[in-house]
Amino acid sequence: MYELFDTIIATYKGKPGALLSVLEEVQRNTEHTYLNEQALLYIAEKMQVPLSQVYSVATFYSFFNLKPQGEHTITVCRGTACHTRGSKPLLDDVMAMLGLIETEEGEDESSYTTEDMRFTVRTVACFGQCALAPVLAVDEVIYSKMTADKLATLLKQLMAKKVKA
Amino acid sequence: MANEMITLCIDSQEVTVVKGTTILDACLQVGIKIPTLCHLEDISSHGSCGICVVEVKNSKRLVRSCITSALPGMEVSTNNERIRASRKLNLELVLANHPLECLTCERNTNCELQSLAQQLGVRESRFQRTKRNLIPLDYSSSSLVRDPNKCILCNRCVEVCSQVQGVHAIDIIGRGLRSKVSTFMDKGLGSSVCTNCGQCALVCPTGAITERSHIEEVFSDIANPNLTTIVQTAPAIRVGIGEAMGMPWGALVTGQMVAGLRRLGFSKVFDTQFAADLTIMEEGHELISRIQKKGVLPMITSCSPGWIKYIEHFYPEQLDHLSTCKSPQQMFGAIAKTYYAQQAGLDPRNIRVVSIMPCTAKKFEAGRSEMDGAFEFWKEEMALSEGERFADVDYALTTRELASMFKRVGIQFASLPEEEFDSPLGMSTGAAVIFGATGGVMEAALRTAYEVLTKKSLPSIDFTDLRGMDGIKEATVDINGTALRVAVANTLGNARTLMEQIQEGTSPYAFIEVMACPGGCLGGGGQPIPTNEAIRKKRAASIYQEDRNFEVRKSHENSEIQALYKDFLIEPLGEKSHHLLHTTYTKRGQYALFDSF
Repeated sequence: MYELFDTIIATYKGKPGALLSVLEEVQRNTEHTYLNEQALLYIAEKMQVPLSQVYSVATFYSFFNLKPQGEHTITVCRGTACHTRGSKPLLDDVMAMLGLIETEEGEDESSYTTEDMRFTVRTVACFGQCALAPVLAVDEVIYSKMTADKLATLLKQLMAKKVKA
Repeated sequence: MANEMITLCIDSQEVTVVKGTTILDACLQVGIKIPTLCHLEDISSHGSCGICVVEVKNSKRLVRSCITSALPGMEVSTNNERIRASRKLNLELVLANHPLECLTCERNTNCELQSLAQQLGVRESRFQRTKRNLIPLDYSSSSLVRDPNKCILCNRCVEVCSQVQGVHAIDIIGRGLRSKVSTFMDKGLGSSVCTNCGQCALVCPTGAITERSHIEEVFSDIANPNLTTIVQTAPAIRVGIGEAMGMPWGALVTGQMVAGLRRLGFSKVFDTQFAADLTIMEEGHELISRIQKKGVLPMITSCSPGWIKYIEHFYPEQLDHLSTCKSPQQMFGAIAKTYYAQQAGLDPRNIRVVSIMPCTAKKFEAGRSEMDGAFEFWKEEMALSEGERFADVDYALTTRELASMFKRVGIQFASLPEEEFDSPLGMSTGAAVIFGATGGVMEAALRTAYEVLTKKSLPSIDFTDLRGMDGIKEATVDINGTALRVAVANTLGNARTLMEQIQEGTSPYAFIEVMACPGGCLGGGGQPIPTNEAIRKKRAASIYQEDRNFEVRKSHENSEIQALYKDFLIEPLGEKSHHLLHTTYTKRGQYALFDSF
């Protein structure tokens, strides 16, 4: 594992914004697509960046995950346009269908992941697809003009999919 | 090269300033102090709070005066309805998420946010809190407590920790509503590279970072008739405590301080300066021995516990350069519970040593497990059990905590009579008082080392090259025809410069003094708030004044120190000194804080 980190760090060494690029690639190459404490420590030490700064960067960008992510990520848009077209009930539906419960620390949680590590649910402020509201994304695909029915079908299909080996 | 001057107009008054001056500083020249909150005098401007806005003609928006340079011909207004409304609005927005717990806050009546709310006439809290949850307090450090709920994200603590100290223990974590100042993985200061220097607490405009208080424990020990409570005061307290009691910056109040401590009920009022003289005896001889025996050089002072933790984290391979001498606080504790206990016929288990320090890191230092020389000394003779293990120093209070104790019991500090320290651990010299200023330990050590090595009297005992607020100072002293090069650094950022030379093997020095805080202990993290460059200079002036007030100004001429060696320690660097006055250090590293790879 650390050999791979070393290669990634060597690739970006001396380039501006190296830390961001390294964090991004390390996350992509880590099981469950996240940055764990050991990885952050390793990167900080090898790149000679203060630990607090590495953590600051990793927590600033919503792109970085500090918790293990599910196989599929469902991102519900909670922008104004989507909100007025019912994105909150959609979010509630997704959570309910996956058996996820919003915790009391709701506002401090950026995402929720099912125990079987199959799904992660998160929200986003805006996809820039307001004309197609409400929108949500499953992994890289955006679904527009979502309804409760369409969502139910979509989720059923996803759940029926075989778990990645 | 002459500085280019520019002329601009502030509130219809013409003013000429050096090019590059901020509008904020230019305004001071016409007698207007623009209110600020996040702005950190002498260090940095972050421009995050939006309190310092002013109006510039032909600019649509109000500009933040702390980060905007004055330009030639600029027409600035600092006072109109729009400006006042904007400042007030920005402050009200900051206050929306700030707990209105002023009455029970440690910084009550000495809080910049509170003063600003008063100054700008905020009379109601119009905006609803936007943060739903409270963040748990960080109690992980033995020196400092952080309450993120009181934090207004001004970034000052982050700036001082990274830019001045180069420690980077804290940073802004998260973003938007979730932003907070925190450490790596939110593990808390106690599990970070934090050196406990407390500069963050000194610059915090609110009560978000404060020292870990031990006032109650000390009051309770004083009240316990079975205990002998001994108090020791660091040199920098006598030039700081007056400020916290309403006196002018840098007021020299040694006598009142002693009287006040006696009124608080301490059994004996002694002086850390006694131990500072002792430190010079040990450290001076250690330096001489290292030079003569070709030991590891440069030798670096070890009085500043912030500095010690810094080198343990950042230069763990260079610990051999540190003097093995304990700090004066710890030497005092060890001597009080051995030599003094013997002399006074006291059971060391019933002695409590309380130190008053300008320092938050002293709390951590007092708690270090290796700081129990007195227990080890008595262990066999008194057949002490492990359960009875006691520390050399029981509590280290900051200058601010002492002020708080004085206030609680209603001591009218300024009108106290001047009193003298108790004997014997109250006697000290001019060499000891200057420990409180950057360069002082070096100067004191040279006064003694020179005379011991040359057996001659120093022509002049004032090493003025080593005084003043420069970050790094150096001097060369001729001792018996050998040039001894020495350097003095204050702030950990400056210490790093000297450490890099050592790391590269290019350090030209034989002896280095490092103090973690700007200006030395007189600018320590436990000193009264505010502490800034101007105030530090006043305190330093009083320190050197006090030095001149002493008839005896060299540590080796302190008669009580001479008696201590004659009756107890026998000789510097001797067997007893080795056990009681010298210590070892821990390789901590920066990243090895956690289970490593």
